[in-house]
Amino acid sequence: MADNKGAEPAKPAPVKTTLKVALLTPGPVSDSGWSALAYDGLKAIESDLKAEVGNQEAKDAQIKDSMRSYAQKGYNLVFGHGFEYNEPAIDVAKEFPNTVFVSSSGGKTAANVGAFRFALEEGFYLAGITAGELSKTHKVAMIGGPDVPSIRSTFKAFAAGAKSVNPDIEVIEKFTMDGQDVAKAKQATLAAIDQGADLVIHQANAAAQGVFDACKEKGVLAFGANLNQNDNPSGVVLASAVIVAKPAFIELAKRVQAGTYRGEITTAGMTEGAIMFTFNPKLADKVSPDIRKKIDIASLSIINKALKVPMDSF
Amino acid sequence: MTEVVDILRFAAPIGLAATGETIGQKAGVLNVGLEGMMLAGSYAAVIASGASGNPWLGFGAGMVAGAALGLVQALFTLKLAADQVVAGTAVNLLAMGLTSALFRLQFGTSGKLLSVPTLPKFAGGLDLVLIGGLLAAAAGAWVLAKTKFGLALRACGEYPSAAQAAGFSVTKIRLIAALAGAIAAGAAGAYLSLGISGSFAENMTAGRGFIALAMVTFGRWRPVWVAVATLFVGAADWAQFSVWAQNPALPPQAWRALPYVLALVVLVCAGRGVAAPAALAAPFQEEA
Repeated sequence: MADNKGAEPAKPAPVKTTLKVALLTPGPVSDSGWSALAYDGLKAIESDLKAEVGNQEAKDAQIKDSMRSYAQKGYNLVFGHGFEYNEPAIDVAKEFPNTVFVSSSGGKTAANVGAFRFALEEGFYLAGITAGELSKTHKVAMIGGPDVPSIRSTFKAFAAGAKSVNPDIEVIEKFTMDGQDVAKAKQATLAAIDQGADLVIHQANAAAQGVFDACKEKGVLAFGANLNQNDNPSGVVLASAVIVAKPAFIELAKRVQAGTYRGEITTAGMTEGAIMFTFNPKLADKVSPDIRKKIDIASLSIINKALKVPMDSF
Repeated sequence: MTEVVDILRFAAPIGLAATGETIGQKAGVLNVGLEGMMLAGSYAAVIASGASGNPWLGFGAGMVAGAALGLVQALFTLKLAADQVVAGTAVNLLAMGLTSALFRLQFGTSGKLLSVPTLPKFAGGLDLVLIGGLLAAAAGAWVLAKTKFGLALRACGEYPSAAQAAGFSVTKIRLIAALAGAIAAGAAGAYLSLGISGSFAENMTAGRGFIALAMVTFGRWRPVWVAVATLFVGAADWAQFSVWAQNPALPPQAWRALPYVLALVVLVCAGRGVAAPAALAAPFQEEA
């Protein structure tokens, strides 16, 4: 290690052979949401950087095993798509100094361990403003799959957005405890609407259709999350809070390839173009120019960092 | 009234599967593959409903998918006398892998949110499957308790040699019971995807098949008790979203555990003296 000066720890060297990138997801990559967008990012790395890629569903005790097996096979970057991959990465990374381990959020770093976080909260905050303005019942709902800190944080941002324009609004929150359970997502949504909610946002991933169909059945509007879901066949998605993951994934892989990656914690939000809040043009008549203007002003303030959207650290 | 229908609807997938499983276990067949058969039923139902536009065709396809897996499992457990737990586990893994692989093959690796025609509902929220399911469960209980066939079926679960000595084919009766359970599991999965969700997601059964297995034990192999235990679970699931969810101080995990605690209490108080079928999960090979 000729370039290892003083106490500075060893850093992964540039990759001279074919770049190898692995993705670990907390759920199936077919979830049309959180895991799917990371998988699409991985496929973009494969096609744009001619990288060799692999992916695996890994949670709890499997995480370290999966990380080790990819690192042993010479993978240069192992990306864990969730905060829960951060701590295992710290342990495993010590054994594999030439592999970079990055998690989606998380607070710990090492020379070859870092985290980057999509500030989806910003999109949820804007959805909250829209919901707070539009709700006639002064009740809105959030339907979550598993009860995890990352989902709770986006829900807090949605509630804060709604309360910023409608301080008396009631925010109903329900978790199905399972990201794949479409039936419970639908039943939880129906219950929330029965309790008076007239706008619904979700973090239900593969189960999101249950949320949308419940809204359609009861004649209320919904927000899409993670991906742009405005064209959902239910026709109830008013706007979506979207994560634009591909550029961030490719940028990360490029830095690993060039050997310039340094273990760090970064956040990618609207300023970086990684988060968008997009209205459904087909439902344009539901949102008055006044509300659109408010959203535009809030968006600009977020981009200029004049407005700080609440984000939990975990 | 709508609350009662809501609770019925929450309980129905588990209830259908548990009723079928009660019949199977009474005949001595343990179906650990229940979860997989439900999942296959959910998948086949959504695909058939989406392709044909007819939810009843989808519901039928779900039952056929359950029956097909039931036949595969019966081949190993009844004909080849394989261990029933191992065979059932293999069926679960097969169904999970197969439905996921087919789903990704058809709709792309990153998936698609599917929306297909659902089963029609009457005013008040009831539908044909809820009514038919209740009637079928009652009929099943009557056949088990009151008919000669029911007696022979129970004999296969208690002391199969005696059933054979009385002139019955144990393998045939067990096959009928296992298939009835498999078809009920397929129907349970189809109801989950077409009666409630209108969509499919990988692994959407989310453990309901295993809960149905537990309900059979909680219900002490008595169809009516099994139905009551299932209603507890349905009521707690419903309450979790409709009643207590308004109080954020109470963690949802506590409400998910509640029906099992209740069922356990009932079990301890009322379940004494009722044992599992003596020949449950024991292979039987007929002598030529």
